[in-house]
Amino acid sequence: MSDAVLDKQVKKQKTRKRRVDPEIGVSLSWKTLKLQKQLIFMSVPIAIYLIIFNYVPIWGWIMAFQNYRPALSFGQQEWVGLQQFKFLFADDTFIMVLRNTIAMSFINLVLGTTTAIGLALLLNEIRVKYFKRIVQSISYLPHFLSWVIAAGIVATSLSIDDGIVNVILMKLHLIKEPIMWLSEGKYFWGIVGASNVWKEVGWGTIIYLAAITSIDPSLYEAASIDGAKRFQKMRYVTLPGIKATFVILLIMNIGHILDAGFELQYLLGNGLTIDYSQTIDIFVIKYGISMGNYSLATAAGIFKTIVSVILVFGANYTAKRLGEERLI
Amino acid sequence: MYKKEKRSAWTAAAGVLALTLALTGCGSGSNNSNGNTGSKNNAVGGNASPAAEGEDNAPVTFSVFMSGPGQQPTGDNKILKLMKDKTGVSFNMEFLVGDLQQKLGVMIAGGDYPDIMSGDDKLINAKAYIPLEDLIEQYAPNLKKHYADVWNQIKDESDGHIYVLPSYGVYQGKITEPTYQGPGFWLQKKVLEEMGYPTPKTLDEYFDIIAKYKEKHPDAIGFESLNFDWRVFPLQNAPEHLSGHPNDGAVIVDNNVAQIFADKDISKTYYKKLNEINAQGLMDKEAFVQNYDQYLAKIASGKVVGMFDQHWNFQDGETSLISQGKIEDTYIGFPLLYPGYEEWYRDRGAVGTNRGFGISINAKDPVRIIKFWDQMITEDWQKIIQWGIEGEDYEVNADGSFYRTPEQRKNADQTSWQLANKITGMHGYMPKIQGTYSDGNAADPGTQPQEFFDSLKPYDQKILKAYNKKSWSEFFKEPKENHIYFPAYSIVLKDGSPAQLAQSKLNDLQVKYLPKAIMASPDEFESVWSDYVKQIHKLDIKAYEDRINEGIQQRIEKWSVK
Repeated sequence: MSDAVLDKQVKKQKTRKRRVDPEIGVSLSWKTLKLQKQLIFMSVPIAIYLIIFNYVPIWGWIMAFQNYRPALSFGQQEWVGLQQFKFLFADDTFIMVLRNTIAMSFINLVLGTTTAIGLALLLNEIRVKYFKRIVQSISYLPHFLSWVIAAGIVATSLSIDDGIVNVILMKLHLIKEPIMWLSEGKYFWGIVGASNVWKEVGWGTIIYLAAITSIDPSLYEAASIDGAKRFQKMRYVTLPGIKATFVILLIMNIGHILDAGFELQYLLGNGLTIDYSQTIDIFVIKYGISMGNYSLATAAGIFKTIVSVILVFGANYTAKRLGEERLI
Repeated sequence: MYKKEKRSAWTAAAGVLALTLALTGCGSGSNNSNGNTGSKNNAVGGNASPAAEGEDNAPVTFSVFMSGPGQQPTGDNKILKLMKDKTGVSFNMEFLVGDLQQKLGVMIAGGDYPDIMSGDDKLINAKAYIPLEDLIEQYAPNLKKHYADVWNQIKDESDGHIYVLPSYGVYQGKITEPTYQGPGFWLQKKVLEEMGYPTPKTLDEYFDIIAKYKEKHPDAIGFESLNFDWRVFPLQNAPEHLSGHPNDGAVIVDNNVAQIFADKDISKTYYKKLNEINAQGLMDKEAFVQNYDQYLAKIASGKVVGMFDQHWNFQDGETSLISQGKIEDTYIGFPLLYPGYEEWYRDRGAVGTNRGFGISINAKDPVRIIKFWDQMITEDWQKIIQWGIEGEDYEVNADGSFYRTPEQRKNADQTSWQLANKITGMHGYMPKIQGTYSDGNAADPGTQPQEFFDSLKPYDQKILKAYNKKSWSEFFKEPKENHIYFPAYSIVLKDGSPAQLAQSKLNDLQVKYLPKAIMASPDEFESVWSDYVKQIHKLDIKAYEDRINEGIQQRIEKWSVK
């Protein structure tokens, strides 16, 4: 099957003035729908699921423009227009949590991706299967811990009272006395980034390892024949081989840039670090849901969604412009 | 056909159960409780035909949500089994896991309520409870009698309905209170013993003891505090007590006028002192970064010399010390004061208006629930719930007063035993008799004076003798008569109101600035403090104070007439 055949088809269809999807190269017609009816049929439940759980709840957005009170019926709600949004953007705290969210998310994104790719590259070079498997298992196991437990482990490790981090630093004579890591705002983002790496690096690696295995071995052979060394093979064969995966994942993750997380910041944060630890989600819980102000919580949610959609489309567009793989 | 047979079998079974109930009732409390058993049966029987009485004992399971963490009783729990046998009622208990406000928010957003919920202002605001007063009038004579004296007080302030049956603060007979659960400055018993049983009266004397002790025992943690989640009172509440006010929460009330004290001199003096002792190395460095579990773990380690806290808040840590046999590491509270102020640490436990159980709007059978509680408030049941089963969990001596054998006391101290033989978790939220029963016995073993003293370990008895006292509460002055509005912290702030926003923001500031001020180097304290006060004054504190004052006036007006 060659491109020539497809091209021919496309040409033919064009003359018939059919709409052609340029990506798939197949005409969208009742006939194709009929031909693929099994596929269509299988996707119906998914579509229904998405409509019920992802589209119907959008109706709830209407709360953001009300002074919503749970007990009242729809007709009895008080309409306040954009007041909730105005409150959000006039509030110093919100601006601060926005900064924290973006900062921590960015740190997580960069650290998470680079460490995952790095580990995948290194693991790929290991020839001893047994060792490779052990390393992989150990690195992804923390992924299955809940953040509650993970945060407990993090807090214990950072404790000044025989916490492992302080003990090691002391033994290495890098510090003179234990540092109280959790009491300083300036450490907080770093702690969150490091904790995320520790917990998620193994899991993130899996997908890159999978992408690496799909690289044609003949490319490596060709590189060897051309005299490439190990690092050169990594640099010129493996990395370009996983570029597509990397770009797609990056675009998807950019959509989550305002989801810096909730649990870790909530569980590790305290009064001393609150200026650096509070994220949008914590803000929503505290000033929205805890105070029965669901409208404010919804307004913040809408804000997040809109920003995310814009970012995803922006990233996708940029990728397209750069001639890279893209999501949509 | 089959169904009918089953039903009649049930009626028969219920009849047998009712008979056993009556017999055991007569058997156990032959001297004093016949009258009560009788009235209980009448209450149920009077409203229902004989056939319906069978239905009244038909098995039913109610779901219960409790707003605090707790442990599930074991499946074969003795008391729950008894309740099920005699009333047919069993429970599906849910204790709080995680953050309460979040949990409530989710419950309210989904309208997903269990049958029974512990009281909460937020749930009241969301109209999640049904009004109880008509149900009580109609089906619950015992409850009506129990709450008669505080009937006006337990009505909701906004609409006059009763939504929650208060669990604490309704007394009958005599109030005996040998243990002290309230606020105080606590010191370890072994420290007091080593220092020759001093009685600190001022902050200086108190921290002096800690300093001297820590000099000899550098491993000890001097002064502990907690600044976590909603448990911020160990850090925030001390100034009001030091200046002779009872626990009104974030405000002090003088001449019926409330004002916040966070920015006042009484606060500054205290936090400046903490700043000083921090510089001396007496303050636990980790106090403000730890969560509640870590705090309890520290106390349970026995290393903490002292702290300011409410006793119930750190009691789990103390319980752990007791079960480790480290009785000398447990604590005695002292009422410290600024010079010139009159002590008011102990208060007469006002009725916890919105703390207890309410019935949710989703409840399947509110009548059944209220009838169940009505039975439970009878003295017979109260004795079973609070003391246990006679002969198993406690004994009665010749003059009719209850006591426990050393064996029974030892059992009662063990968590595993409690889970199988007590319903401590749920009991905390149920309507209960406090004070004394009509036969003169105290409501529970912990408040029976002689039983209390006898149950103490020899070490504790020695300490009490050294101080020439008989109980822990004697370290504090007898409480003055409560103000009518007391306590101001239970005044409801409307969800989303400026008052609530101000309160929340004030709390945020305290959570952030107090640790900063305490941990700053002493010469920086002034600047941190003035920054903090400046931030407070940016808030709409007036909205908050106005709402509290309005509440105080309303209470004075409504509650005064009985």
